[in-house]
Amino acid sequence: MSRPAASAPPMRAAFVQPPRPSPFNRNASSGSARSRYLVDGVMRGLIVSAAAAGVFLLLVILLYVVVRGLPALNLDFFTQRPLPYGEVGGGVAPALLGTLEMLTVASLLGVPIGIGTAIYLSEYGRGPFASIVRFVVDLIAGLPSIVVGVFVWALMVRHVVGNYNGLAGSVALAIIMIPIVTRTVEEMLRLVPDTYREAALGLGLPRWKTIMAVVLPTARAGLITGVVLSMARAGGETAPLLLTALGNQFFSADLLAPMAALPVQIYNYAVAPYDDWHTKAWGSALVLILVISLLSLATRLSTRNTLGER
Amino acid sequence: MESPNRRLKGCRLNGASAFATAALLLVSACGPAAAPANTAPPAAPALPSIAPPPSSLVAAGSGIVKEGFPGEAKALNGAGATFPAVLYSKWFNEYEKVTGVKVNYQSIGSGGGIKSISDATIDFGATDSPMTDEQLKAAKNGPILHIPAALGAVVPTYNIPELGGQQLRFSAGSLTGIFLGQITKWNDPKIAEDNPGMTLPNKEIVTVHRSDGSGTTYIWVDYLSSVSKEWKDKAGLGTSVNWPVGLGAKGNEGVAGEVKQNPYAIGYVELIYAIQNKLGVGLVKNKAGQYIEPNLAAVTAAAAGAAKNVAPDLRVSIVNADGDASYPISGFTWLLAYQNQNDKAKGRAITRALWWATHDAQRFNAELGYAAVPDDIVRRSEELILSITTAGGQRAFPHQLPGR
Repeated sequence: MSRPAASAPPMRAAFVQPPRPSPFNRNASSGSARSRYLVDGVMRGLIVSAAAAGVFLLLVILLYVVVRGLPALNLDFFTQRPLPYGEVGGGVAPALLGTLEMLTVASLLGVPIGIGTAIYLSEYGRGPFASIVRFVVDLIAGLPSIVVGVFVWALMVRHVVGNYNGLAGSVALAIIMIPIVTRTVEEMLRLVPDTYREAALGLGLPRWKTIMAVVLPTARAGLITGVVLSMARAGGETAPLLLTALGNQFFSADLLAPMAALPVQIYNYAVAPYDDWHTKAWGSALVLILVISLLSLATRLSTRNTLGER
Repeated sequence: MESPNRRLKGCRLNGASAFATAALLLVSACGPAAAPANTAPPAAPALPSIAPPPSSLVAAGSGIVKEGFPGEAKALNGAGATFPAVLYSKWFNEYEKVTGVKVNYQSIGSGGGIKSISDATIDFGATDSPMTDEQLKAAKNGPILHIPAALGAVVPTYNIPELGGQQLRFSAGSLTGIFLGQITKWNDPKIAEDNPGMTLPNKEIVTVHRSDGSGTTYIWVDYLSSVSKEWKDKAGLGTSVNWPVGLGAKGNEGVAGEVKQNPYAIGYVELIYAIQNKLGVGLVKNKAGQYIEPNLAAVTAAAAGAAKNVAPDLRVSIVNADGDASYPISGFTWLLAYQNQNDKAKGRAITRALWWATHDAQRFNAELGYAAVPDDIVRRSEELILSITTAGGQRAFPHQLPGR
């Protein structure tokens, strides 16, 4: 903001107040208080409306899915297998089970690797190897999920197992989860003040015990956020599952056989020519949102109990 | 809530011709918020009808596979063509009730089906465009058989607000002209020639085609190639081709949606999509010079018309078939299976499922918008199914058939 010119009209000059010293821009040219209030108001307005727009969009999407999907929901929808077109009832239970099973296996595979990598990067990682690890994690994070799907398909569907299977789906999801867990958890571990580590080491704790007993519990909330974020992301993946788990309209908990998943079920319902199936696609989308929300809620509640106060 | 297994049949009008009505009413009459099942549906809107199947189609050979069989695999996995997915989900749901064998079918596209059966990552495949000789040679476990499962029609569908309920007629010349970009206005003399007495608007034609590889495209361009050398040279034949003009859209749904949104657009979709989306469907002039409304009877007629010159491996095109009643843009959809089944239990299960699919299951085709395979072709499929062997060169099909 430029200073008001000496020839400013008196009306305007009447509002000019002596500039207050600011700790942030002592040397910057300070505008009139009025224009500063104005800028402050405008910027605050922009920020609030940006936040409102984001929340509004999310609410609209959520509301739309609820409105379109609610008519499809009933008890059968959660307990029955999908039925062919023209038959009343049927549900998405195999897909629900498949998604939960594959997410569980994917978490068992991906979360320890992700957290381990994060601990390495934050606590031990120095030098060129750490840079390489960090670079590779970024690379995997930026990989389109279909590429992960093709990779796992080529490796596990065509060769190791020899047919489409749920385990391949879990591995694909785990690969998608690892960089998300790693990046989030690493950031959180870095936020733990070094004085904590120094205090623990100073009391004679070995390094591994410092990490386990001090660093990780301190960053607990961030750890859980990372895990939940990665599960939510993996739970919504369709492309890698089409190529690996394939899908199944029957109940099958066999990890070495094709397995159903909610996103695949949504896709199958959505591309059909029937309005009834489109409603079921919205219903399945709603179920997926519910599953992810419940999962993150459950994760937060259960870890709160085991890891002490927050 | 009602029992999940209660069939829609209960809330249907009598006769298969009511299918279109029933389908439209599904959401309102039979949806989850179900009204009483015997509510009489209102009069059907003017839509192209799906004709009832010819009654002669209850094939001999039905009823052989009627319960589970000792020593057969209890689960089979298949994948492939999208077009018959709705039919297969119906079939295999029934088949599970009959035999207890869970046949999982996933629609990943004809290309995916061919790739997967070639890699032997699934037990059977499905495709709308026959495998090429090179593809057959590349298959991992030896010869692959094509078993015709159903027939479909691809129809020209358009959106001309001025026409109201009037149905346009197309000839081979006008369709190729439109899709080659040579006919650009709806009131072109070539289109007017087929539609005497109809006032056609002086508007630019917008053509819509599939952007993804598709068996639907294959049947459509198979027809255009068979009637026009120029098409064959310029655009060619395949599941995706070098389109001279037009907008691309993904899937039958996408093409139907584009046509619906763009006035004066024309595209091609599977018959059932045109009906479900309430789009205008054109009549097409066949080889015998008749304008044929696309329906299931006309498709079965085309298959019967082409049956005489069908190759023994049943990889066959039936576009532009002989016969007065033949709809010219029709095609088979096939199930794919290896002739040599290494696993005895799977060989049993596959041959029994194929036998059931080509015989008993055909009665489900019409109500879902697919034409049944004509008898002549079913007899030839039987030969192929019986030629499937298992370890040691034994016939995989476990049932005894008189004289065979």
